[in-house]
Amino acid sequence: KFNVGVDTIQHGVEGLTYLLTESSKLMISETDFQDSIHVLGFSDELNKLLLQLYLDNRKEIRSILGELSPKLPSYHSLEWRLDVQLASRSLRQQIKPAVTIKLHLHQNEDQTAQVLQTDPSTLLHLIQQLEQALGEMKTNHCRRIVRNMK
Amino acid sequence: MELSAYAQGGWRLLGDPRCFSRRSYVSLLRAAFRSLLDQPHAGNSFILDDPDLKDIDPTVLKHCHAAAATCILEAGKQNADISAISTCLEDCKLDKERIEQFCTEYQKNKDALEILLGSIGRSPLHITDVSWRLEYQIKSNQLHKTYQPSYLVTLNVESSDSGSHPDVRFSCTMEQLQDLVGKLKDAAKSLERATQM
Repeated sequence: KFNVGVDTIQHGVEGLTYLLTESSKLMISETDFQDSIHVLGFSDELNKLLLQLYLDNRKEIRSILGELSPKLPSYHSLEWRLDVQLASRSLRQQIKPAVTIKLHLHQNEDQTAQVLQTDPSTLLHLIQQLEQALGEMKTNHCRRIVRNMK
Repeated sequence: MELSAYAQGGWRLLGDPRCFSRRSYVSLLRAAFRSLLDQPHAGNSFILDDPDLKDIDPTVLKHCHAAAATCILEAGKQNADISAISTCLEDCKLDKERIEQFCTEYQKNKDALEILLGSIGRSPLHITDVSWRLEYQIKSNQLHKTYQPSYLVTLNVESSDSGSHPDVRFSCTMEQLQDLVGKLKDAAKSLERATQM
């Protein structure tokens, strides 16, 4: 349809891909992008088109690139259930409360679900510890670092 | 509460003053409790080392130790009360004093016995503790200027069968951690409501 060789098309696509991914990766500003493609000597119309292409797709490209970095399994969701153990083979007449948790994790397309259990006092301890963790981002120390990094 | 014929046989021997004096009876009972409840380690043979039990035929000792252990475990399992135990031992022709001595030893060790019996059995991995790490991501080789806080959470778990098990590790964003904590708090609230019923 374009009436050019396969190689030319391939190079064109590769070049465009490289331009878009690099720009997205570095998160360069509009001005910087325009300056960068200026050297290619394209028409104004083409430059505007490329800029728009960059801005429209930047977010998606960045999220795809984000998937490539080294990762641990990440939290997906959690289900819980309250149980009370009343008896077992070795001991009758028990009252043993327990919280059963199903933890759903994702890792690179794989989804795992692990069944875990804990007792009421450990549950309260977990909540307290994790609430402390959440509170950390709000401390002056963290706020200062976040401010200065940007 | 019922004991097998073998155990009953052992108890009849235990009740017989010709086989066991008062002292050796109590010694054997104590040794039976210790062998069940104490941490096992090499070289603690409560029966063989006890001076009061030296003169008794080892086969008799073996029979009686098994009988005593069976009775202890059965009583613990059923959460038997004193009258049930007494009735059971009366059937084995034990006199009142020996029955009382057993019941005293049983009461002393009842809590530890309950804990021991309750801990036997399979259950899912048990969470014992949690550690967390907060990091602020700046860039990776694939993506620059990420500027995102990220949490790394480790749940320390224990297995009921073997000793250790690798901890459960995962990363999450702040929103995900909020979701996690929210759900755990729901569970805790339900637990509180359930205990008030």
